[in-house]
Amino acid sequence: MWSPTGSGAYRRPGRTMSRPGVECRGSAAERRVHRNPSHYQYLKVGLECEPRGPGLRLSDAAFKQTIVAALRGLHGEIGAALPVDVLKFEERSLTAILRVRGSDLVKLWSALTLVASCKDKKCAFRIIQVSPFLLALAGNSREFLLD
Amino acid sequence: MVCFADLNIININDKKRLQTIIETAAHLGYSTVAINHVLDFQQKEQGIANPISVAELFPSPPIVQGKSKPIKIMTRLTLIASDVSHYNQLRTAYPQNLPYDIIAVEPKTEKLFHVACMTLDIDLICIQGTSKLPFRITRPPVNGAIARGIYFELTYFPAINDFTLRRYTISNGICLMNVCKGKNVIVSSATEEFLGLRGPYDISNFGILFGLSEEDAKAAVSTNCRAVVLHGATRKTALGVIHTTRNVTASEGKDEGRPRKKTKTEHNG
Repeated sequence: MWSPTGSGAYRRPGRTMSRPGVECRGSAAERRVHRNPSHYQYLKVGLECEPRGPGLRLSDAAFKQTIVAALRGLHGEIGAALPVDVLKFEERSLTAILRVRGSDLVKLWSALTLVASCKDKKCAFRIIQVSPFLLALAGNSREFLLD
Repeated sequence: MVCFADLNIININDKKRLQTIIETAAHLGYSTVAINHVLDFQQKEQGIANPISVAELFPSPPIVQGKSKPIKIMTRLTLIASDVSHYNQLRTAYPQNLPYDIIAVEPKTEKLFHVACMTLDIDLICIQGTSKLPFRITRPPVNGAIARGIYFELTYFPAINDFTLRRYTISNGICLMNVCKGKNVIVSSATEEFLGLRGPYDISNFGILFGLSEEDAKAAVSTNCRAVVLHGATRKTALGVIHTTRNVTASEGKDEGRPRKKTKTEHNG
């Protein structure tokens, strides 16, 4: 079993002799420190509408259209040109997973915050989670119960 | 950890809608909300009403997301005023203390803004996004307000509804941030419907648009709001002395140490 405190698992960077591709006897793990390794940020968003429940039918193209319109409304043409990808869209629950560059996160998030209507219906984007790793969207840290 | 708070929910007469708004706020993660009574002195005939009774509105308040605690509901009064005499009118109506937790003033003139920052006995100064600011925010009164522990409030609901109002909101916000440098600012909703509410993290991200730093933007929905609530509590009492009385019934009065013992045995068992 791998353990972080096990002998030889971690060494100080000065002492490690291992290079990528070179096997080093006696060292069980290679230590690599990445600074900001992730270029993208992922957002899990939901769309809430006036009558609670599925009051709005929306295709994935229309959903993307709403996002681009929101970006154009707040940040103009530069905002509309930001690369935003809809990775996954569920029509039934109106939730989606979006991907943007990390530097554009504030722009996208603020544009989504100020959305008031979609297809002439009142609605609101609820940002459920934001993470630089897609894996982290599997669980929701905001709903942890802290006693 | 500091809890999130939204200190401005407009008191609409529809009780059911107000309940929906507060339920949504609890679901979004706000631990404290304040129901706002707006008092406009430009329309003469309005009187100062007593605040809505919270216990009547919610016999059992909804549970906050991620907290397992019920949401805390407070009352707040906002004066829309253009002259100092309007505030004195309020003081004569309630010479002792006002039955509200938080008192806010929305100044319409530069003179009142100066007086509100320097001398008035209030907790909040509203900077609305519904119109262009009728005066310039200057540094001396703002510094005075920061020294006295008075906070400035920006509202974001107008920004959601209308493109023009959005421009006003952001420009007023930037004007304020240029002067106060992100200190003593809170951001609140001023919403009248549940779809106008946004989550606390969304709002702290929105604060970055005004030029706040990330920490200041988060403090604007959490730490600073708590400071406002505490400022209101000290203003309501004798400026720092908080006096509470516990209602002891006859049967409880006999064995006072008992409840503590009881919890101990529960822990053991």
